[in-house]
Parts: sequence; C-alpha cells; structure tokens
Amino acid sequence: MSGAVRIAREEWRLWSRSRVALVAALIVAVLVVVTSILTAMNVTDDAERRAARQESAEATFLAQPDRHPHRMVHYGHYAFRTPPPLAAFDPGVDAVTGQSIFLEGHRQNTAMFADTRAGADLGGFAAMTPANIYQLLLPLLLIIVGHAVVLREREDGTLAVLLAQGQSGLALAGGKALALTGVLGLFLLPIAVLALNAVAAGEPALTAALMIAGYALYLAVWAALVLAVSLWVRQRSVALGLLVLAWLMVALVMPRIGINAGSAAVDAPGKIESDLVMLAQQRKLGDGHNAADPAFEALRKQVLEQYEAESVEQLPINWRGVVAGYSEAKLTNLMNDFANARMQQEARQSRIVTLFGLASPTIAVGAASRTLAGTDLATHHRFLREAEALRFDFVQSLNKLHATGLAYADDIQRSSDPEAEQRTRVNASAWALLDTFRFEPDPAARRAGRAMLPLAMMLGWLILLGGAIALGARRLSP
Amino acid sequence: MSGILREARFLLRDRGALLWIALALLLSAAATAFGIAEVREQRTTIATLLGEDARDRADALAGQSDWGGAAYAAFHLTYAPPSDLAFAALGQRDIAPWLHRVRMLALEGQIHEADTKNADFGLIGRFDFAFLAAAVAPLLLILMLHDLRAGEQAAGRHDLLVATAGDGARLWLPRAGVRLAALSLALLLPFWAGSVIEGADGLTVLAASGLVLAALFAWWLIIEAAARSQGSPAVLLAALVGIWLALALLVPAGAKAAIEASHPLPDGAEILMLQREAVNDAWDLPKEATMGPFLARHPHWRSHARIDRPFEWKWYYAFQQVGDQRAQPIVEAYREGRLARDEAAGLAAFLSPASLVERGFERLARTDTRAMIAYEDSVRDFHAQLRAFYYPFLFRDPPYDPLAFERLPRYEPTP
Repeated sequence: MSGAVRIAREEWRLWSRSRVALVAALIVAVLVVVTSILTAMNVTDDAERRAARQESAEATFLAQPDRHPHRMVHYGHYAFRTPPPLAAFDPGVDAVTGQSIFLEGHRQNTAMFADTRAGADLGGFAAMTPANIYQLLLPLLLIIVGHAVVLREREDGTLAVLLAQGQSGLALAGGKALALTGVLGLFLLPIAVLALNAVAAGEPALTAALMIAGYALYLAVWAALVLAVSLWVRQRSVALGLLVLAWLMVALVMPRIGINAGSAAVDAPGKIESDLVMLAQQRKLGDGHNAADPAFEALRKQVLEQYEAESVEQLPINWRGVVAGYSEAKLTNLMNDFANARMQQEARQSRIVTLFGLASPTIAVGAASRTLAGTDLATHHRFLREAEALRFDFVQSLNKLHATGLAYADDIQRSSDPEAEQRTRVNASAWALLDTFRFEPDPAARRAGRAMLPLAMMLGWLILLGGAIALGARRLSP
Repeated sequence: MSGILREARFLLRDRGALLWIALALLLSAAATAFGIAEVREQRTTIATLLGEDARDRADALAGQSDWGGAAYAAFHLTYAPPSDLAFAALGQRDIAPWLHRVRMLALEGQIHEADTKNADFGLIGRFDFAFLAAAVAPLLLILMLHDLRAGEQAAGRHDLLVATAGDGARLWLPRAGVRLAALSLALLLPFWAGSVIEGADGLTVLAASGLVLAALFAWWLIIEAAARSQGSPAVLLAALVGIWLALALLVPAGAKAAIEASHPLPDGAEILMLQREAVNDAWDLPKEATMGPFLARHPHWRSHARIDRPFEWKWYYAFQQVGDQRAQPIVEAYREGRLARDEAAGLAAFLSPASLVERGFERLARTDTRAMIAYEDSVRDFHAQLRAFYYPFLFRDPPYDPLAFERLPRYEPTP
C-alpha cells in the first residue's frame, strides 16, 4: 500500500505546482465562501423576519376589537414558513414557493409572493447557492484537475516505467484514487463548516452528517468517473472532451429533461383548474352564509330533534352558527380531498424526476440535499397541510362561538337593526382561541429515511464506476 | 468555395464532430417536442377552463336575488395564453401565474394568488430550446472547435498544412465555418419545424434564429481568440470551459444578486396585510370613513352614497375598493420595482451571451417579466371594468334583473 501512498503524494505535489489546478481551485474556493456567506445571511434574515411576522400576526389577531365571530372568520390569519437551519446551505424550493399563506374561512389560499416571481431574470440558472456550487461547479473542477491523473503518466512515458518496475495497475489506480480522495476531503471542508454551523443553530446531527455524506458520495461518483475515463481513454484531449460532455449531460441536461418528463407524464392540474371542478361540487353542499339554503334541511331536522324544539327560533343555540360550522366542515373535507389529490399528483411528478437520478447523480444529490435540509417539495406540502389544520381549527372555534355566544334573533336582525348588531359582537377576550403556529422541519429520522433512495442511487453509481476502474486498472498497459 | 466543399467532405468523415452535431440535433428535437407538448397542454387547460368558468358563473348567478349577492358569487376567468413561440422559451410561465379567477372583492386579495405548478419545476427549470441555445450549444461548439489546430498538430500535419495554404485564415476559416454552420443547422432545423407546426410568425422566427446565430458566432470568436494561444488541446479546453462557466453561469448569477440587492422591493406580504386590515377595519368604522375615500375617487356616486342600515352592499363593495386604494402605493412600488429589476437585468445581460439569448427568446415569445406584468395589468383593467359594470346597479339599485348579466364584461387576453 505504501506504493499507492507514494503515487498519491507525487500527484499532490504536481497539483500544487500546476497553475491551472491552483487558479481553478482558488476561484471555486472564493465562490463557495462568498455564496455561503450571502446565502446564510439571506436565510437568517428571512427566518427572523418571518418569525417576527408570525408573532405580529398572532398579536394583531388577539388585539382585534369586539366583533361578530364571523367577521373574525373573514379577518383571518397568516401562516409563515420559517426556513430550517440547513436552508443556509440548500434553500431548495423556498424561493419558488411563496412563504406565507393567508388563512380565512371557506377558502384555501395559495402561498404568495415567491422570491423568484420578483427576481431579476437573467435566464437559465437559478441564483447561486452553496448547494448549486457543490452540485454543478465542484464536479467540473474535479474534471479539470483530475482528467489526466493516469493519462499524464501515459503521455510522459512514466506509465511504462512504473509498470515495468512491477507496480500493478491496481496499485497505480489505488494511488490515483487516494490522491483524488484527498482532493475530495479538501472540497468537503466548506460544507462541513456549514453543517456544523447548522447544528449550532439547532439542526440534528444526523441530518447534518448525512448531508456531508451525501455530497461526499456525489463527489466520489464524479472522482470515480474521472479516474475511470483517465484509465480507459488513451488521449488527454479526448478524455477531457468526454468528461465535459458527461458533465453537460448529467449536470445540465438530464435534470431538466427529468422535469420535462415529469410534467409530460403526470398532468397535475393547477389550483384554479381543480378549484373550478370543486366549486361545482361545493354548490351542491350549500352556501354556509345562507342558513335557509335547502341543502341544510336534513341538518335542521336533526338539530331540532336533538334539542326537542319546534323551530330554529326555539333552539337554545344560534342556528346560523350551527350552519356555519357544519358547512365549513363539509367544505373543508371537500377542499382537502382536492388539495390532497393535487399534492399527490405533484409528488408523483417529483418521484419521476427523482427516478431520473438513475441517469444523473446530480438529480439524486439534489433530491437528497433538499430532503435532508427540509427544503423539499414534501416539506412544503406538509407546511400547506399544517397551515390548513390551523385554519380549520380557528375557523371552527369561531363558528362554535357563533353558535353559542349570541342569540339567533339578534343574528338575523343585525344587517338592519343597529342595536341587534351591537349585541352580536362578542367580547374580544374570546380571540385567544387562536393557536400559535411555528413551522418545524420533519424529524431528522424521517428526513433521513426519505433521502435513502437518492443516496442509494449514488452508491449504485459509485459501485458501478468502481467496477469500471478495477477493470480498467487490470488491463492497464503502456 | 472549393475550400468549403473540401471541409464539408472532411466533416462527413470526422466522427467526433459528427457526434456533437448529432447530439445537438437530438437535444434540439427533444426540447422542441417537449415545448410543443407543454404549450398545447396549457392551451387545452385554458379552453377547458373557459367552458367550466362560464358554466360555474351561470350556476352561481342562477341562485342570486340581488345585485350585491350576484357580484359576490360570480367569478371570472382571466388568462394569458401562450404565444406561438412560447414552445421555445417557457420563461416566466413556470414561475408567474398565467391564470386567475377574480370577482368584485378587493383585487389585491386575489391577484397575488399563485396558481403554481410543481415547485421543483421552477427550481430546476425546463429544458426548452432557449436554454439549449443559450447555455448548452456554446459548450458543444467549444467541444467541437477547440482542437481544430491542435488536432492537426498532434497528427503532425499542422505546419505542412499552414505552409501549403499560405494564409492560415484560408485554412482554418472554412474548417471552423463549416462546423459552425453544421452545428447551427442541427440546432435550428427542429426549431424551425416546431415553428411551422405552431404557426409562429416568420419574422419572429427569423429574429430568434438570428439571435442563436449571432450568439454562436460570438462564441466562435472567443474560441478563435483562445486558440491562437497555441496551448495543448487539454489546456485550451479547460480554459474555454472556464470562460463558458464565467459567461454563462457566474456573470448572470452575480449580476442577479447585485441587481436584487441594489433594487430592494417592498415585501409582498405587506400588500396583503395592509389591504386586509383596511377591508376588515371598515366593518367597525363609521360608514363615512369608507364612503369618504371612496367618493373622493368616484364623486359620480355622491348623490347615491347614503348608507342607512348596518349592512348595505354598496358600502361593502366601497370598502373593498378602499382596501385596494389603501394598498395602492405599495402595489405600485412593487410593480415598478419588478420592472426596474427587469430593466437592469436587460442591461446586465449584455455581459453574458447566454443571458442575452435567453432573455431575447423570452421577449420574442412574450414569456418575459414584462409580458407577465402586462398580463397582471390586463387583469387589473378587467377588474376595473367589472366595478364599472356593477356600480350603477349597486348604487342606483334598480329591480334585480338577471338579464343584465348578459352585458357582463368579458376578459379578452391581450394578443
């Protein structure tokens, strides 16, 4: 093994003397540092601002004056998605999806004001983030630095000497692999610092460690490809050309083809489209504002029986509030059915994109990275679900107040009788029914579980390329 | 002329170059096909929704008994159909909404709704023709042309060839020119076919093709300049890939970050909160607090603006409008800010041929930021028409007559 170490040391000595390698490494190092600082600053800023907004939204809700409870249903509330600590490395879909939702009765609103919608459009590539640099630029740097690890020996004629001295092809490849592994270790330093930083900010060690492991695996796949090509190809410029082509296809083209394929294979209706279909069904459920709607006849019978009353006027509770609560529950069921169907279609699309990870480790590492950071589509969907639960909860509490806190006789008079209107206003202390909302990423173990498939894909690639290296090393000849 | 024919013959025997050209053709065909499929799906969606929307509105209006209730219940579909060149550059259509359903309530609560597609799409981006031409094609050109001279050097023919040709330009110009032309053709043929299928305007297609050719020509000049340095093919390729990386990736990303930092936007969430507060506070304020600001904008209705009862529809819609009025300064700052960012991005794009090509395509295909803001403006116009339609009914309060809804404004997409 000492032979391999010597070969690796020699390779390192050459790299440290190569201007191309040093300049490229320096540029990338500066880029990593700059984007890391900028992204971390942005994300921390966003996290603080959104947390403050969330608190102020809650405070404003509580500070509302005496009102009719249904006014508070429409006054509504906001839910903000605060970014998790690892978002400073990979902000994921955060910039594309909106970060806040307005919550009100009878409606599920979309998340609004995505950053990308207001961003400066300079084409193709998204804003630079540390994750992007690891996914796109570091493989290219590995290619530039490493494509000649074996070929240089061949072109300089030292390969024949080494082999003649009894050095086996495998030992030579092992030495070169060791040299490249050293480069990888250097590349992983910034992400290790960022991950430690995230742990200090409250990120579980498991996800932070897996994040480093995921990128180590990804860069190892590229290093293995570089070594394999350097072993199998006999001309330096051909090797570099092949590797750049592979980078072009794997890192730039395949992810986007995956998106095209996901979009073409699964037709996920937009919200407006599915809302229209839903509205047609909703009309059958009746309008919760109108307690005389014939759709509520069965409910009326049942409630009258329950309270042994002859008419809704005799009920000890406010019939309008009963109707509001009943129809909100029915409508929410319907809206949730449609929202779930829509999210499932989107998840199916994204699964297709992830499966393209079999053809492109860049897709696999991206999926693993967003999942581990808690900035993937699934986490956004969970945010939507939790915001919906919060909405339903406060709306139904208000509807319950509507049914029990004010008299039916006043309620039906309030549009025309100012005094009745005054009596339908509920004391503001009741607004404390609102729950506080703090969005947290999934537990580390669950995120890790979801990241296993893409991580396994990269491991598969590594094994495959390891085989190609072993085979190439065995038949290595000058 | 004979030089070109000779080089064309050489090219047919150069398997490496043929590989790049075939790859360009394949990618271009894939980008075009996917683009056309997506654009067609969007058109089908719009056509289906138009039918559903009319049915739903008829349904909603059928159950109403007063003007205010009708205005509350009736939604209207607005949309921006994809242009006939949109297949080549989906641009902002994956990020910004191109569909809305609006009604008479405060518009600011409705227009920012995002009918978002899968967030992964906006994050990773589509493989459309504009991306291929802007980012991928230059790299293919680099791979194809970087070792023209060095290849001959390696084969030991270089000096002989240069000596025989006398003038280097007469040798390398046709060789590179034929390759450049072949690659351009491979890229553009599927695009042209797609344009014919989509019935795109000839002049627009010509402009788009000119953009692709000009950009590739610029990249060729860069490659030529680098090739004169006489480095080994591997060093040359590494340097060219570095230049590509800087121009296609780093300059745009840096410019984007700089522009966004120097053109701060008002926080969108503010618009919503302000509008929401204004609308909801109105319920508890004296009626004059709403009708005053409303009449300042619409003095026309002064003689009909008395509110006697705790709830009246005209007051309800007046405070919806006042909510929009209250948010208007931020809304305008937000809109102007986006336009200013886009303008700055347009200037910065001159630093990067890749950005220039992609923005150029989005402009021609009307999928750029300006086009999406123009669509939002048209939604605002339509909403103003809706208000102009309903206000006479709400304020004069003639007997309810559903026949009047036959004159409801219809949304017409701007061509």
